[in-house]
Amino acid sequence: MNVYVKNFLRFCFIMIIQILILNKITLRWWSQPSGFPIFIPYVYPLFILLLTFETPVWLLIILGFITGITVDTFMNTAGIHTCATVFIAYLRTNVLNALLPKNLSEYPNQSPSIKNMGWMPFLVYSGFLILLHHIVFFTIELWNISNIGYLLLKIAASAVTSMLFIIAYLLLFTRQSVGKN
Amino acid sequence: MRNFILFIRRFFNLILFLGVEIVCIVLIAHTNTMQGTDIVSSANTVAGILYKKQNDVVYYFGLRKMNDSLINENARLRKQISSLRTVDTLRDTIVKKVIPSADTNRHIVHYADYLYRTAYVINNSVSSANNYITINRGSNDGIAKDMAVLSGTGLVGLVVHVSPHFASVISILSIRQQVSAKLKDGTSSFVNWEGSKPDVMIMKDIPMQIKVKPGDSIFTTGYSLHIPGDILIGIVFKLEYVKKNNMQILSLHPSTNFRNLQYVYVAGNKMAEERKQLEDSVKSKP
Repeated sequence: MNVYVKNFLRFCFIMIIQILILNKITLRWWSQPSGFPIFIPYVYPLFILLLTFETPVWLLIILGFITGITVDTFMNTAGIHTCATVFIAYLRTNVLNALLPKNLSEYPNQSPSIKNMGWMPFLVYSGFLILLHHIVFFTIELWNISNIGYLLLKIAASAVTSMLFIIAYLLLFTRQSVGKN
Repeated sequence: MRNFILFIRRFFNLILFLGVEIVCIVLIAHTNTMQGTDIVSSANTVAGILYKKQNDVVYYFGLRKMNDSLINENARLRKQISSLRTVDTLRDTIVKKVIPSADTNRHIVHYADYLYRTAYVINNSVSSANNYITINRGSNDGIAKDMAVLSGTGLVGLVVHVSPHFASVISILSIRQQVSAKLKDGTSSFVNWEGSKPDVMIMKDIPMQIKVKPGDSIFTTGYSLHIPGDILIGIVFKLEYVKKNNMQILSLHPSTNFRNLQYVYVAGNKMAEERKQLEDSVKSKP
């Protein structure tokens, strides 16, 4: 399948999962919260993480902007998701360069995945960027340093849950595309 | 000039990155002044239609709960009607006289000129710092900005964006939304949310000499142009004394259950225009 079509379909699929399923989870999840922050797992940065290795930085930034503004529109957050997504899109190439043994141009038409990179490097790569995304997002959203323990707890809990959902997504849905590449 | 072009080519990515981030920050700052851009909100048509399609499916699973809430509300309203028939509205005067319900109606209409429209919730959140609700009614149905939104059990929020068929509502569970509120005896203050738990709200600055017990109700004041008075906001469950300024802080459970909100009422004040004109004319005089 053409790489553009594949990424477009993946974009729609991830957005539908995020908006129609994951955004609704909190409403039923912690029915009696006692001091523990409630949060939504965000898997949509996965779209940026799974683009091919050689995607240029300017394209990553523009795709990050489109992804973020879509989520913002649906969640009424006006710019906060965009800010965080563009930030990780900009840093993605540097993180990959630091983690991979070869130059990025030596992986033609491949995208970061557990099969191409191995478990540990992929988890470090996605975990690091997801954590950065959550730090930027929740800091801007709460904008309140006085309650820093709550902020850190929310970031940590949310990042761990997001990573669990991302791993689940990869195990469930990427088998086929890995086989084809 | 050549150096300048070389500089741009070299740092093109960084410049693009900073440019896009500045656009985001402008968007965020723009929304925080409560004016908001209508494009980036779930009241816009595409988002509204998608949420409506989803709600058409999920709707059926909540029918039982919705019936329960409607039955409860009917029961409450019936009780209210029966109590109003015998209530004495002239309690302050010396003459005590029972007024038939037809007459009471004519008296009340003059003050409470609110038009209630029903709407159902097609999107809802309780997890962010500022929570929004999308409802399936828009400017075509007469919804306008700043109208109050109520549920069967209490206050929900205010309309902030309107499109022809949808409206988004900022709920009272928002750190930048304060509601003017009063106790049973009329002591007024503000209720706000601290951004953490969806079932705890805070009311500050109640003087020590006012006696409050857990279980007391907090109502809206009606000072605001758009929120009707005497709507239940929540029930007090904890009191804290602040020695420093001799005030007390009340913690309350909101009476609306924001987790399973389905039907809401949008209250539009027919007198708002007139009252606003009057208040503005008073303010503009030296």
